Amino acid sequence: MMEDRSPIFECRDVTVRYGDITALADVGVTFERGMIHAVVGQNGAGKTTFARVLAGLVRPAAGSLKFSGRPHAGGSVNDARKAGVELVHQSFALPPTFTVAEAMQFGAEGGSLFTRSALERRWQPHLDSLDVKVKARQRIRDLPVEIQQGVEIARALVSEAKLLILDEPTAVLSPEGTEKLFERIRRLKARGVTVILILHKIREVLAIADTVTVLRSGRLVDGPLDCTEIDADRLAELIIGPAAARGLNADDKAALTGSATVAHAHNETPSAGKNTVLDMRAVSTRPDTEGPALDNVDLTISAGEIIGVAGVEGNGQRTLVRAISALVDVVDGKLAIGGDNVTGKQLAARRAAGLRIIPFERNVEGLSLSSSLWENWSARSLLQMPLLAAINPITIQKRCAAALNRWDVRYANVTQRASSLSGGNAQKVILSREMDDDARLILAAQPTRGLDIGATSFVWDAMRDAKARGCGLLFISSDLDEIFDISDRVVVMLSGRIVAEFRPPYDISAVGAAMTGVLK
Amino acid sequence: MEDIVIAILRSGTPLVYVTLAGVIAQRAGIWHLGLEGLMITGACATVLGIVLTGSIWAALLWAIAVCVAGSVLFWFVVEKLRANQIIAGLGLTGLGLGGTTLAVQSIFGTQAAVSAPFGLPRLGPAFGAYGSLSVLVVLMPVLVLAVWVMLRRTRFGLRLAASGEHPFAARSVGVNPSAMRLAALVMGGALCALAGAELATGSLQIFAQNMTAGRGFMGFAAVIFGAGHPIGATLAALFFAIVGAIGIKAQLIFGDRIPHDLLLGLPYIATVLGIWVSTKLRGGTKAANGFTELRNE
Repeated sequence: MMEDRSPIFECRDVTVRYGDITALADVGVTFERGMIHAVVGQNGAGKTTFARVLAGLVRPAAGSLKFSGRPHAGGSVNDARKAGVELVHQSFALPPTFTVAEAMQFGAEGGSLFTRSALERRWQPHLDSLDVKVKARQRIRDLPVEIQQGVEIARALVSEAKLLILDEPTAVLSPEGTEKLFERIRRLKARGVTVILILHKIREVLAIADTVTVLRSGRLVDGPLDCTEIDADRLAELIIGPAAARGLNADDKAALTGSATVAHAHNETPSAGKNTVLDMRAVSTRPDTEGPALDNVDLTISAGEIIGVAGVEGNGQRTLVRAISALVDVVDGKLAIGGDNVTGKQLAARRAAGLRIIPFERNVEGLSLSSSLWENWSARSLLQMPLLAAINPITIQKRCAAALNRWDVRYANVTQRASSLSGGNAQKVILSREMDDDARLILAAQPTRGLDIGATSFVWDAMRDAKARGCGLLFISSDLDEIFDISDRVVVMLSGRIVAEFRPPYDISAVGAAMTGVLK
Repeated sequence: MEDIVIAILRSGTPLVYVTLAGVIAQRAGIWHLGLEGLMITGACATVLGIVLTGSIWAALLWAIAVCVAGSVLFWFVVEKLRANQIIAGLGLTGLGLGGTTLAVQSIFGTQAAVSAPFGLPRLGPAFGAYGSLSVLVVLMPVLVLAVWVMLRRTRFGLRLAASGEHPFAARSVGVNPSAMRLAALVMGGALCALAGAELATGSLQIFAQNMTAGRGFMGFAAVIFGAGHPIGATLAALFFAIVGAIGIKAQLIFGDRIPHDLLLGLPYIATVLGIWVSTKLRGGTKAANGFTELRNE
């Protein structure tokens, strides 16, 4: 066989538009074969779109693509797969009711008619050879995320993949899981597979990649650059860009790009013990379909304190938020907000005690997308009024406009629907509603997920302001860097329990070990 | 005993065919409320085909062609014009019910029932008392098995299921979910034609207005009752047929002592109870959740 020396992929002037939004503009890049290439950038930089162009899921509006020197029109998954390109999605693309074997089979060639056992016999060796520890007959929905990712990678490798793209594969993993994933990727490289990793964290880029390519606002900033010739600070500058870098302190910059672990001691001493805003004692809940039950959770938050909750997703973080916000019954233990015992109380009573919630799903739980901005914004105050109280829309709209302006929301009119706002602006509407002067305990669940640099630092600053006003905050995130940057204390959740607590300076490896249950 | 079994097979067979059409559509991600309309179209086209061509095979082909055309229209409205599938399905049902009446009216100038000189081939005297059943009754279990194999034991079936359950997953292995839905609806159209043919010419040889009398909706209910599984849904359809047969038997036994309408309503009451029971079971809940997904679309 002749050694193919042409680049595995090259593109020129690739532009992708979604309606009015240009997701990628004139991107041209060349990837050599046999290497691990990283593509980095902030949210909204166009990384996922770029990956989808390669995989044929998105057809570029302009530009040319070449796989192994052969031109491709783009926009056809079948063509891309024939050229040996496979994509592993950020949120996995496997039908949850399928068994692992079925998930392998439906994207593969051959054996169009099968029996269950034949299918399992066919795919078990494939899974074993990739060291994915799973039985072929297990259902996708029953698997933990790390295994699901392994299955998705195995799915991508059912045919002779030459170029494997992984879209933010580390976002769902613990530091430990990331290490294992990188091991797996190095083995693939040894087998001759070229890998493109879409990444978020500079630390990870430098740990695994041979080259790095930086995208910002849909444009190619630089790359591919040789990873041995670039340092973390220079890369951070490229990712953030000169405009956004102004107004960011060094720690925030590091937290945004993961260039270094923020380990600073917070300058003011937390006023612990003075005014307790949340006091959970041995709280347990029943298990349900949405996550593991809380198991004997003790947690106190003082006024003026931000508690970070670290953990691999699906370890009870959502249950914790639902338990505090009365969406799941507390079967055992005691829960007090601002000194009031609210264990058996409804959400309205808890909100009256000062509870505010920035929920996980901003477009489902946080906002009614089909309602106007002023309706969304006024929900907090209106719900505290009697059922038949008269309301004056004009007054509310004026107050809403004033509040939204104060929170720097970009909008045209308070009567426009919430669905018309971008992610960052939608989140600001929620912040303006939930971070009012009467707030005493604020649950911030993944408040920066999917937001760009500006909106992310805005949310961080809003949380710091709330803390300075004397609120207690519970801050849940899957991004350890931002947790370390913001939090006065960090607790780690695993299987519905709080298994460890850390104070600054934080040690990422110790927190990571606690997340996976490897406690010393 | 024999007469009960025959009655069940007679009323159950068309129901099973239309249920299979619903199962295939549901696997591909479509809640098919147009089954009723396609079924009556099949019944009407078969009878008209026999009257006009004099051949049962030509009539069947004609019925299949018409129902497939109706399915393609449904697909076009749902997939290309992005209409709500529930509304579009109900529209298709209205089109079938109204269109068949219109067709009979314009050809025969009357709204009376149209009778055909002959119907589907029968099993014949070799089968004794069962000889009066049509060949489609025998074909039914074969088709049920074939649909099961196709949906659960072929890659085509996996791709169809992926298109329904997680269209993005289907797209990312190069499957076009929209094309898979077209395939599912075309197969469903052919099955609805057979359901209508069996209903109109399996034992009777007649087409009357609204003769499906909600059987398409019962088929839809059987899909939910059977959690979208071909065998489960078939059993659900046969269960409805059994309840119907019991109703008729009870009518003969009790005569006027129990209101006639109540007994006739038994299959429908059983349908409602069946749905309720199935939501108590895991599979039923899963199927019912599909509606939530639809609403969020």
